[in-house]
Amino acid sequence: MIALRGITKTYRKDGALEVQVLKGIDLDIQPGEFVAIMAPSGMGKSTLMNIIGCLDKPSAGQYLLDTIAVDSMDDDDLSRTRNKKIGFVFQSFNLLPKLTALANVELPLVYAVDDVDMKANATTALNAVGLGDRINHLPSELSGGQQQRVAIARALVNNPAIILADEPTGNLDSVASEEVMNIFKQLNRDGRTIILVTHEPDVAGQAARTIWMKDGKILSDERRAAL
Amino acid sequence: MTLSRIISESLKGLSQYKMRTFLMMLGIVIGSATLTTIVSISKGAQMSIMKNVKNFGPNSVMVTAGGGKSFGPPDERTTTLTLEDAQAIKDSIIGIRYLAPFTVHLEQNIIRDNLNTTSQVIGVTAEWMDAWQWYLEKGDFISDEDNAGLAKTCVLGQTVAKELFGTDNPIGETVRINNTSFKIIGILNKRGASPHGMDMDRRVVVPLTTAMKRLFNITHVGMIRLYIDDQARLDTVTTSVTTLLRERHHITPPQEDDFRVTNSMAVAATVKGVSKTLTTFLMLLAATSMIVGGIVIANIMFISVNERKREIGIRRAFGARARDIMNQFLGEALFVTISGGIAGTILGFMLAKGLATASTTGIMGKKTMMPAVISWEPFALAFLFSVLIGVLAGVQPARKAAAMDPVESIRG
Repeated sequence: MIALRGITKTYRKDGALEVQVLKGIDLDIQPGEFVAIMAPSGMGKSTLMNIIGCLDKPSAGQYLLDTIAVDSMDDDDLSRTRNKKIGFVFQSFNLLPKLTALANVELPLVYAVDDVDMKANATTALNAVGLGDRINHLPSELSGGQQQRVAIARALVNNPAIILADEPTGNLDSVASEEVMNIFKQLNRDGRTIILVTHEPDVAGQAARTIWMKDGKILSDERRAAL
Repeated sequence: MTLSRIISESLKGLSQYKMRTFLMMLGIVIGSATLTTIVSISKGAQMSIMKNVKNFGPNSVMVTAGGGKSFGPPDERTTTLTLEDAQAIKDSIIGIRYLAPFTVHLEQNIIRDNLNTTSQVIGVTAEWMDAWQWYLEKGDFISDEDNAGLAKTCVLGQTVAKELFGTDNPIGETVRINNTSFKIIGILNKRGASPHGMDMDRRVVVPLTTAMKRLFNITHVGMIRLYIDDQARLDTVTTSVTTLLRERHHITPPQEDDFRVTNSMAVAATVKGVSKTLTTFLMLLAATSMIVGGIVIANIMFISVNERKREIGIRRAFGARARDIMNQFLGEALFVTISGGIAGTILGFMLAKGLATASTTGIMGKKTMMPAVISWEPFALAFLFSVLIGVLAGVQPARKAAAMDPVESIRG
């Protein structure tokens, strides 16, 4: 499903100084996997996330998503791919503050090619994360855990094969973290591919596969028996 | 992305920033309100000019004693125009169907028993009616015999008849003018206001000879009214009359004329000239406020795009193409300008109607006629301008929004 070959990413920081955050990543992820990417902060795991999520392009190397070379896609194709195949969950939730939970969840449907009943689909997604009774609340009226669940509903609403979560529990207390992780585990049991970036070992410990990164490279890649 | 989705996303965007949206709209509202008011009022003015021309008589030339540029009847001490002048015009200028010399005496006391009113008294010949194309409601007009015999007969205008006789029939009754009794033989049709706002129905018409010899003891006339068959000859006749009178009065051009010759076209041109200058000035004002409004919109849009960087990033992450972002921001600008334009047009119509009402009911001091005409042109103009300004002001900020890097912008 996801095949990364020799991926590098170099940023040019103020002037001539170049920083290479990814130094040749080779990685394969199969459908239905639950993968945690562990690394100390600032070690390129978000960059890797953005590349897998088709938000960013690698400086070199090849990325095949469902056997299609992401390299060959233009901006429209990349947008379509993000819309259909990927659902993002961010550490800081990234909900639009002045829109209700429902309107936030509807957002990916706005850009979908198929004309669907936005309200019905968004309501279903919110029900799936247990927030059916909060659909008309603004993000500011919800707790952190609830906001992250709205964000998960938004990631799910277009029924993507892959959920990409960047430190999804980073801003949550332990109870909310557990709720969110339980949702991810359920989604994985339903057959969805979950890739999550974290620096918390007990979060990573709940994934079936853990990839350790350091200095822009993969250090280790461990698989565990299903939990 | 369908049009309805673009519109709904633009509306969602705007509803997040209501105050900002209002401020963006303001310039366009003011601009199109001004524009609409001007168009409505200048159309109304046009209409009232045409009405004035009709009242003056589209086929008429008026010769007035005394020089200068002001309109209206001459001062009674002006003695420069005579019956001989009138005869000379009639004899030597072709194209004149009717010619009527007459005297005008302002502010005369008209008495009926214990009632009285003031009115113009006009001394006329029998041709006066045709020259003015102004006929009787009932009774008879001053005849040649009346003039030959210095008869003490008179015809009343509607206002005078109403003030002295109410609903009674005045024909056969008498009124006193300047200590002389006059028998009422007819009532004129209603004519309304003159081009200068005077009540034309406040007048009493008597035989010219009676007015000159019995009432006022004068040998001159105040004005000569000409009725021309062919409207195209209006200016030719006007020029010929001027030339003839200069000759008769021994006036050579550097000297000022002691008479005035006007026609309906000249009346219209004067009024039009004034209103055109004013309209041009106000149009410029309206255009300026629209342009300033556009600049304000562009500026606020740029600020908005910067502030909503994160929103743009989030939308991009969930599948918005660069073009979708562009459409959303352009849609926001267009919605602001178009709805501002429509609101402004409606406001402008209300303003024009209000001004028209205020001017006709005399709230603004003097009673003047300033009618407003509601038409489709301001709507079309405001819509066109709004779309134009919306696109011009919105396209750069929208492009900037569309060009933002998703990764950069999602960090906020």
